[in-house]
Amino acid sequence: MNKQKMSAEDKKMVNSLFWHSFLLEACYNYERQQALGFSVGMWPAIKRFYSKKEDQAEALKRHMAIFNTTPHMVTLITGVAAAMEREASQNKEFDKDIINNVKVGLMGPMAGIGDSFFWGTLRIISAGIGLSLARQGSALGAVLFLLIFNIPHLIVRYYCGVMGYQFGAELMGGTQNSEILKMISKGASIVGLMVIGAMSASMVAMKTPFTFTIGETAFELQSYLDQIFPMLLPLLYTLGMFGLLKKGYKSTTVLLITIAAGLIGSLIHIL
Amino acid sequence: MQAALLVGLAMAVLWFAEKMGGTPMVIRPIVVSPVVGALLGDLHTGVLVGATLELVFMGAIQIGAAVPPDVLVGAGLGTAFAIQSGQGADIALALALPIAILAQSLKVVVFIIRSWFMDLAVHLAEAGDIRNMYMLNIGGLLLQCFMYFGVGFVAVLFGSPAVEAFVNSIPQAVLNGLSVAGGLLPAVGFALLLLPMMDKRNVLYFILGFVLVSYLKLPVMAITILGVVLAFIICYERGAAREPAVRGAAAEEEDLFDE
Repeated sequence: MNKQKMSAEDKKMVNSLFWHSFLLEACYNYERQQALGFSVGMWPAIKRFYSKKEDQAEALKRHMAIFNTTPHMVTLITGVAAAMEREASQNKEFDKDIINNVKVGLMGPMAGIGDSFFWGTLRIISAGIGLSLARQGSALGAVLFLLIFNIPHLIVRYYCGVMGYQFGAELMGGTQNSEILKMISKGASIVGLMVIGAMSASMVAMKTPFTFTIGETAFELQSYLDQIFPMLLPLLYTLGMFGLLKKGYKSTTVLLITIAAGLIGSLIHIL
Repeated sequence: MQAALLVGLAMAVLWFAEKMGGTPMVIRPIVVSPVVGALLGDLHTGVLVGATLELVFMGAIQIGAAVPPDVLVGAGLGTAFAIQSGQGADIALALALPIAILAQSLKVVVFIIRSWFMDLAVHLAEAGDIRNMYMLNIGGLLLQCFMYFGVGFVAVLFGSPAVEAFVNSIPQAVLNGLSVAGGLLPAVGFALLLLPMMDKRNVLYFILGFVLVSYLKLPVMAITILGVVLAFIICYERGAAREPAVRGAAAEEEDLFDE
């Protein structure tokens, strides 16, 4: 398939998405991580593709779903999401759930690539070069460190936006057929669910220090749980919270329950 | 007093720049220490302390639920104490470390408070109020900047021993409880994300992704690739094999989308 040419308007929007992408982590939090920054960062696309206030609100709310990736490369996902929003605004049959499914499918691998490149490689190289000067007492070390890190950072951040939008447009361009869209939707939700499962396992932390004694021997509950099903507690907790939400509990209530569970559980030594 | 103000302000401004600028690494010791050094009138010591602390903190990035000491506080206060006490970077870091660990707990509090903000953020999104969403985003950032200012100001004003005594007076149970809650909170976020996607049938894929990490410790990247292959097999290969029955399959999927 040919690369779709970007119009002047497309370029303007991609530039604007770039400038809006820097604030991704300003309001980072446990519940939705980078969601607010992402939703605000989508504004140039949302404003462009939706003229009605209700549609804009719906899109902003859609992007308030939990989100987490390497901040330096977020523009790739913003770009893909922007292309999907364009499709959603033009095609009434477009299933909007796909947008978040695709985002989830991308954020895990992008974080994997981005963290190892920016945190693991580029930061270490820049620090290494900066340190060789700093250890001799030269303040230029700090300057050099920032330059070596941020010049590639800004280039990657910008071109990821361009690539993301083109890739997204290509993906959507070939999918006018609603059968194929449904297949992508189902496939994206399978990948999405597996990635969310994987991320829950690595990010939700729950262990019990509970021990009990039978006769003379002390038993550590956690080590038994680990033998049967490692990380069983985080899995049950995540599914439990999902169950509560499904039953119609408000997210604030669930949040409160969780904070209370942490404080009380830790106080009575079961968590 | 002036030194305390300067150090607090420097830390707040550096954090602001870090999160306004898309994580450009201005809170690394190699940058923080020369800045604090220059403000306190001893750039040379600042640069040298920064070089030492950068090595110490090089590997300290947050992995999973383990809580490393806060880099910005460790670097900012370590440098300030090194210059004020005339001691080397190692001793200064030892003085700054308990406060850096406290700052990490305060960060947990900030993240919990900002989790509360999310409810408001969703309401604003529902109203299409982008202006106030933007303000809320910045507000969340300023909250954390204020936290850093407070920590830097108080720590330098009262000196390390007084702050250390204060840190020790906070019941450990409260600090533990907060960090346990911090570990649980992502579950709420993921549950919210799952809400429109997951049902009784496809919960298996979620569990599959989970056990691939819990039993096999696979990285997320590997699981994504497996997911794509699995999705390809399920949606495309099987779909192609029963091409004639595609009508039936489409009808069956129809009610999936009616929700």
